[in-house]
Amino acid sequence: MAEPAYTVASDSETTGEEKSSSAFPEIAIGIDVGTSKCSVAVWNGSEVELLKNTRNQKMMRSYVTFKDDIPSGGVSNQLSHEHEMLSGAAIFNMKRLIGRVDTDPVVHSSKSLPFLVQTLDIGVRPFIAALVNNVWRSTTPEEVLAIFLVELKAMAEVQLKRAIRNVVLTIPVSFSRFQVTRIERACAMAGLHVLRLMPEPTAVALLYAQQQQQDVHENIGGGSEKIALIFNMGAGYCDVAVTATAGGVSQIKALAGSTIGGEDILQNMMHHLLPDSEILFSNHGINEIKSMGLLRVATQDAIYKLSSQNSVQIDVDLGNELKICKVVDREEFEEVNRKVFEKCESLIIQCLHDAKVETKDVTDIIAVGGCSYIPKIRNLVMSICKRQELYKGMNPLEAAVCGAALEGAVASGISDPFGSLDLLTIQVTPLAIGIRVEENNFVPIIPRNTTMPTRKELAFTTVRDNQTEVLIVVYEGEGEKVGKNHLLGYIKIMGIPPAPKGVPEINVCMDIDASNVLRVLAGVVLPGSRHPAIPVMEVRMPTVDDGHGWCAEALDRTYGSALDLVTVQKKI
Amino acid sequence: MPVSVGSICQISVPIASKAQGHFGTNKSMSRWRQRSTVIRCYNRRAEGRVRAGKNYYDLLGVSVESNAQEIKEAYRKLQKKYHPDIAGQEGHEHTLMLNEAYKVLMKEDLRRQYDASIDQMRVRNGTTYSGLAYSAWKGPLRPQALFVDENACIGCGQCVHHACNTFIMDEALACARVKVQYGDDEQKIEVSVESCPVNCIHWVDREELPALEFLIQPQPKEGYGIFGGGWERPANVFMAAKSFTKKLKQQDAMEHHQTRTTREEETPAQAEARANASRKLEEERLSRIWNWMKEIFSSNMLSRD
Repeated sequence: MAEPAYTVASDSETTGEEKSSSAFPEIAIGIDVGTSKCSVAVWNGSEVELLKNTRNQKMMRSYVTFKDDIPSGGVSNQLSHEHEMLSGAAIFNMKRLIGRVDTDPVVHSSKSLPFLVQTLDIGVRPFIAALVNNVWRSTTPEEVLAIFLVELKAMAEVQLKRAIRNVVLTIPVSFSRFQVTRIERACAMAGLHVLRLMPEPTAVALLYAQQQQQDVHENIGGGSEKIALIFNMGAGYCDVAVTATAGGVSQIKALAGSTIGGEDILQNMMHHLLPDSEILFSNHGINEIKSMGLLRVATQDAIYKLSSQNSVQIDVDLGNELKICKVVDREEFEEVNRKVFEKCESLIIQCLHDAKVETKDVTDIIAVGGCSYIPKIRNLVMSICKRQELYKGMNPLEAAVCGAALEGAVASGISDPFGSLDLLTIQVTPLAIGIRVEENNFVPIIPRNTTMPTRKELAFTTVRDNQTEVLIVVYEGEGEKVGKNHLLGYIKIMGIPPAPKGVPEINVCMDIDASNVLRVLAGVVLPGSRHPAIPVMEVRMPTVDDGHGWCAEALDRTYGSALDLVTVQKKI
Repeated sequence: MPVSVGSICQISVPIASKAQGHFGTNKSMSRWRQRSTVIRCYNRRAEGRVRAGKNYYDLLGVSVESNAQEIKEAYRKLQKKYHPDIAGQEGHEHTLMLNEAYKVLMKEDLRRQYDASIDQMRVRNGTTYSGLAYSAWKGPLRPQALFVDENACIGCGQCVHHACNTFIMDEALACARVKVQYGDDEQKIEVSVESCPVNCIHWVDREELPALEFLIQPQPKEGYGIFGGGWERPANVFMAAKSFTKKLKQQDAMEHHQTRTTREEETPAQAEARANASRKLEEERLSRIWNWMKEIFSSNMLSRD
């Protein structure tokens, strides 16, 4: 592999929160790295300002091309033509690939992209490569993201005339903690320190809170609580949040998220237009890549047009005597993507249910993200909430980055004389965190949608007499069996004083702070004693840092149920 | 069972704060110790609720009768002050408590349970005046007694150093208190009174002692308090004691006047049992720190009455 064009400023992925102690706190910038587009915003002292690149664009394509051995990203690079991005030399959609193993369906669906995504289906990282001078040059999503972030950083530094270190990034709700570490890793590689990672809809919620706050300032009164449903669907992910807002405080009530997005809609359409496209493009020859690119661009165009017109004529010559000439109408489009829309609906319903909010109590419905332009999406959001219209005060593509910039200013300790930064988001955990107990069951310790920061604990005990060791395996997710959840790490406790089964009390405590750092503590207490029998273990998670599927299997193979735990009966 | 929750949580507080003091150098470690010691002490179900040792209503600065809306507003206001996004990492612990308090008070069933548990706590805390002093006596009763004005006390620990059988430090409140009247010989007591840099150790009449000791205890404040004023005690405890005893006398007189209350019909045996019970509770409360003092306690128990 060629020498990377960036330097790794910090290899430690888990550096703690360091609030800048200087007298003039550096304002953290907000970055929204979308699956397809990216933007940067910063609090300029009186309002949020979106930064533009040299070509005067606020929204920059998220990709990196490896042409001529020097990678260049969508911030500075000017594509001569859309097809250049689809020649195989450009890597994009990294947000969908980052932190995923090759058994993940999302990785599999990325195989039809012009660059190379190879899988072995055994739970390791997928092989990702860009075509450079007829050579497949391997890379990783982290590297691609880091190169892209370096460009963004350089752009912001030139415009703001200062060094940039602290950033607030938006992430999808459905990101696992492992994926979050990959994002942090990419930031560290780019020399950026992640001050906060905000789930995208919560960034939107913060912007909403600020807008409501300003309205209150302008017309006295009416500062009562407002409940908003935020639906955010971009190219890669779909997120929903319910927030209660009053006095500049946005209190997230529930989050729900999934890996469906515009990319799925696009692929469904491509498949609809050319049913055997996957087989056709699977061997990634030069000609196939070209045809694939042509199909992709044509389909994308058609989807855009279907947002404003009822039918569209698709006319594309893919070469190799393969021509597509078809009229697609909106109904057909909606039928092809029925499953995607159904998933969107179920996410909204689930989120409202988790938040314990009735649709009649919802004040505003906010739909943002690229997919919010699709009429079907707008209709389904409105019909679930039984409303005639959506909230109008936001630019659907800029809302998340503006919220991130606000959070950047708030978390950097900036205050505004006019009270525009008198804001706060109270976050919740998007996924449950718990441990494995007997027979691979998953016992959540911190349930989903728990207000952060939080600290919870549960007591467990041994399953065998004189069991001196236990393995506490920490998982994140919603599955009842650990196999469906993400492994975060493990703590092995040794030297438990011999005692009959069920006697030693193993306390597992989990602590999540406001910057979403998870600490797991485990201690053993014997009856009649008030002090831990052996030193307490404290571990920052996630600690597992490779193909997590493998690691879980290896743990199971080596230790099996020998080091199991059971929950103490008196569960809360 | 709420009853056990109430009584036991009192034990956990001083221990926890003591542990914090000892292991204060390592924050997370001490945090764990604090937690783990507490865990053993009480019913697990009550764990989160009484951990803080602080009334949730006081924490949020709302009245016991406040509705969900008021709690919500108070919570948000406090979050804006203490959330780590604003207050930095130092706000972490406090925000944890706010979140816990909010969660409990916003859920009807949890709140009902909690209300029941604090009612118990309040009784044990001595919110109801028993007419008995908190400190025990060593040897015969004397006309004068020692009293620490905890408002003035700076928690220097000099008195405990000089007369460790008489004074103790209340680690939770960071001030000294008389545990046993004349627990040490007179010379030691003299030195300890002299050594107090703020002159907060007073000789008072024995009759005044119960009222003073009752009033100096921080009482959970009800009504619409501002946060931080969750616990209160009179600024001038001596003045307060005077008016308090006066009020008591008036009340007594009233009761005398109207009907003969059950209290007066109490037999001497009942009174003794009651005194013993309250003594026992008192003992339990600090027994873990003061195991070694138990002998003195029991030898003095009867001499008081």
